[in-house]
Amino acid sequence: MGSFLGRSVILLVGLFTLPTLFGDFWAYQLGLYFLYSIAALGIGICWGQAGFLPLGQAMFLGIGAYLSGFSLIHFHDSAWLFLLLPSAAIAPGLLAFFFGLLIFRGRVESGPYFALITLALSLLTFQVATSWVEVTGGFNGLGGIPGLPGIAGFKALYYVIATVLTISVCGVAWLVKSPIGVIWRGIAENEPRLTFFGYDTPLLKALAFGISGLLGGIAGVFYAPHQGLVTPNLAGFILSAELLIWTAVGGRKTLMGPVIGAILVGSLTAELRDVVPVWELMIAGLFICVVLFMPKGIAGWPEQLFRRIFSHSRQEEKVTLAARGILTAPKLELSGCSLSLGSVGILDNLSFQIDEPGIYCLIGPNGAGKTSTFNAITGAVYIQSGTIQLDGERMSGLLPNNVALRGLGRKFQVPSIFPNLTIAENLLVAVWGGRCSLKDLFSYKPLNWSSTIITDLREKFPFLNQDENSANELSHGEKQVLELAMSLLGEPRLLLLDEPCAGLSPEETEKVIETVHWVRSTFDTTIMVIEHDMALVKDIADQVIVMHQGQVLTIGSVQDVQKDIRVKEVYVGVSI
Amino acid sequence: MDPIALTIALNVVYEVTTLFVIVLGLAIVFGLLRVMNLAHGEFIMIGAYSAYFCQDQGWPYITAIPFALIIAAVVGYLIEFTLIRHLYKRPFDTLLVTWGLSILLRELIELVYGKGFQSLSNPIPGSVNILGEPYPSYRALVMVIAVVSAIVLWAWYRRSLTGARVKAMVENTELAQAVGIRVDRLARHTFVVGTCFGALAGVMLAPLTRVEPFMGLDYILTSFFVLVVGGIGTLLGLTAGAGVIGGVQSVVANLFGETSGYFGVLLIAILFLWLKPNGLVSRS
Repeated sequence: MGSFLGRSVILLVGLFTLPTLFGDFWAYQLGLYFLYSIAALGIGICWGQAGFLPLGQAMFLGIGAYLSGFSLIHFHDSAWLFLLLPSAAIAPGLLAFFFGLLIFRGRVESGPYFALITLALSLLTFQVATSWVEVTGGFNGLGGIPGLPGIAGFKALYYVIATVLTISVCGVAWLVKSPIGVIWRGIAENEPRLTFFGYDTPLLKALAFGISGLLGGIAGVFYAPHQGLVTPNLAGFILSAELLIWTAVGGRKTLMGPVIGAILVGSLTAELRDVVPVWELMIAGLFICVVLFMPKGIAGWPEQLFRRIFSHSRQEEKVTLAARGILTAPKLELSGCSLSLGSVGILDNLSFQIDEPGIYCLIGPNGAGKTSTFNAITGAVYIQSGTIQLDGERMSGLLPNNVALRGLGRKFQVPSIFPNLTIAENLLVAVWGGRCSLKDLFSYKPLNWSSTIITDLREKFPFLNQDENSANELSHGEKQVLELAMSLLGEPRLLLLDEPCAGLSPEETEKVIETVHWVRSTFDTTIMVIEHDMALVKDIADQVIVMHQGQVLTIGSVQDVQKDIRVKEVYVGVSI
Repeated sequence: MDPIALTIALNVVYEVTTLFVIVLGLAIVFGLLRVMNLAHGEFIMIGAYSAYFCQDQGWPYITAIPFALIIAAVVGYLIEFTLIRHLYKRPFDTLLVTWGLSILLRELIELVYGKGFQSLSNPIPGSVNILGEPYPSYRALVMVIAVVSAIVLWAWYRRSLTGARVKAMVENTELAQAVGIRVDRLARHTFVVGTCFGALAGVMLAPLTRVEPFMGLDYILTSFFVLVVGGIGTLLGLTAGAGVIGGVQSVVANLFGETSGYFGVLLIAILFLWLKPNGLVSRS
């Protein structure tokens, strides 16, 4: 803790003595690149953390700068400035948030669509700024912007900007370390999985984009008085591209990367652009290399150092959440559910009910529609006709996160975890799902949450104690168990397990079965299991549901089903 | 027919057909290989600068076509071989890399030709009569070439063995590989075909537009809008998308000015992403 403070103080003293050492010109130059770094921090959040690519970050910088310019020109020396300038930063943030919400809600993906829309938006902003001459001053820009009241000279402004940068870095550091940061990295890794824990991922991504827009806006608010002139180029494509390159070269996945990149590459470019003709070509090449081979960029080299400066590993008391206790048994009812993909029928008028607690094994030959049944129940696919009800309430048509919040947990056939998060983070993500409010995600408290189930599970499966190891170091069997553990942590009332023992050794299988029994008896959870291993089915099933060609063939106890001639026919082709 | 209405109709048809050629290369690469080639606009630019080079040398305009195709094929091949082929399973990285490439290509051209506009002279001046109205010959030729190339490509894809192999690769890469299709080579050729169509569009449009290093930026965005609206993977969707985007852009821009035209197109694209994310025609 002491050394963390010490280093921060050295960094800060350095930051604030620079203009005295190097003079006014450097105070001016550095001030500009500090502003760019603030905007670049936003790209770091979107791209480095949440894994989607904003190609038009300069747009928010531009909007903030224009708004700030108007306010300073028309309300100079007025008290209104104290309201107007913050609004000029917040407005681009809100704009980004709502645009993000609009686009992310349409599609759960982070690929080219979002990136190109942001690019288009930034070009549109440029066009508007150029052609709306009466307001923006057109191509020549909005000139004659007075300085901030009470701040005279570049040196004074430098101190203001350095303070704002410091606050921004601390704010982003806070976000990256708080639960929302973990969730953002989870989104980058495996967004669909998060929805099955109950997270509204489009909202959380829009938040990231909104914060990034806010940071762009803040930079813009100070840009206007710093330069005294705002031109459409500030909102345009080229600056957006440069900000992205700086972020990449500096290190998008690190906290300080965007800042280092903007200051270092940015000011080097300003110096060398006209001296070295191939400079921009080299930078573009460097960008490609960094993107492919060095996600941590320049900041990745002394990463150890920065990690030590900016992380303070305090051991805090764990808060163990009590299990929510025995919950009412769910009543699941599927009636007349049909689903087809093209001409292939997958579910065909599927109907069954589960209203007693117990372990239900879903069996049937390949292609019977078992996993599709799970997909339909959890909202991963929408059935084309029929209804799915839980406790008499319609569930068909709900998004996976809303289904999860009603008490459903799911384990996928191929383990679906967050490979680059640590084991502890993987477990926490599952604990938070459904329990963390949006406000909680921004506080540090949930980082110390634990639950009685985690404690029990850690006893059963000691590998879960390797908190700091990343999950992709686990063996296949351990990944299976990790995902099982994660699906239990939301304390679902109805738990859907898709071949939980596939690829496990006999010992591991035994332990998993024991865990399933333990969950069943301790929490009175209703469990549905897809399983092929009949020995296992005999061991765990209270009831067996046999599926064939998208329909329920029969439901009954293991003995009943074994006697059923139709089941034999389906499995081994014995004709009656 | 009313001459003014005819002129407007011809202009809309022109807008839509040229848009079709512009998008074709991108649609091939994105639809078949799932690579959103953000440098596609720069291949159009390469085509346009090739045409400029040929005209500048005093060669007949038609020589620009093989010249541009060779350059685009070589550049496309090199890019696929060095970068893209490693990234087919990492769509996000292809996005970034092609974006970096677009800057690289732009800077390269800027280094050679500078930032300024280059203007080409119209290789076929004069006009032809369409339904009794005079229409610029070169524009008419561009429309004809666009329609013919679409039909040829469609027929070839439907009927040729290579078309069948490409379909197999798209449906199930591993299985295609297992039955002896050389998927890596096929993908490379597909990518090169996409870049060549970009260059071809550049040659066709060069005399009608401003040739400058940043020209690709507009093309990639409009192409993307066409894909969003039309849906990915079918020529029908491509045509529908080009129709909607080209139609809206030319009509709104004529009525309310350039910025509004751009805004209208963007709005439609966002609405589609929001309400109909698979576009008008989706491949099932």
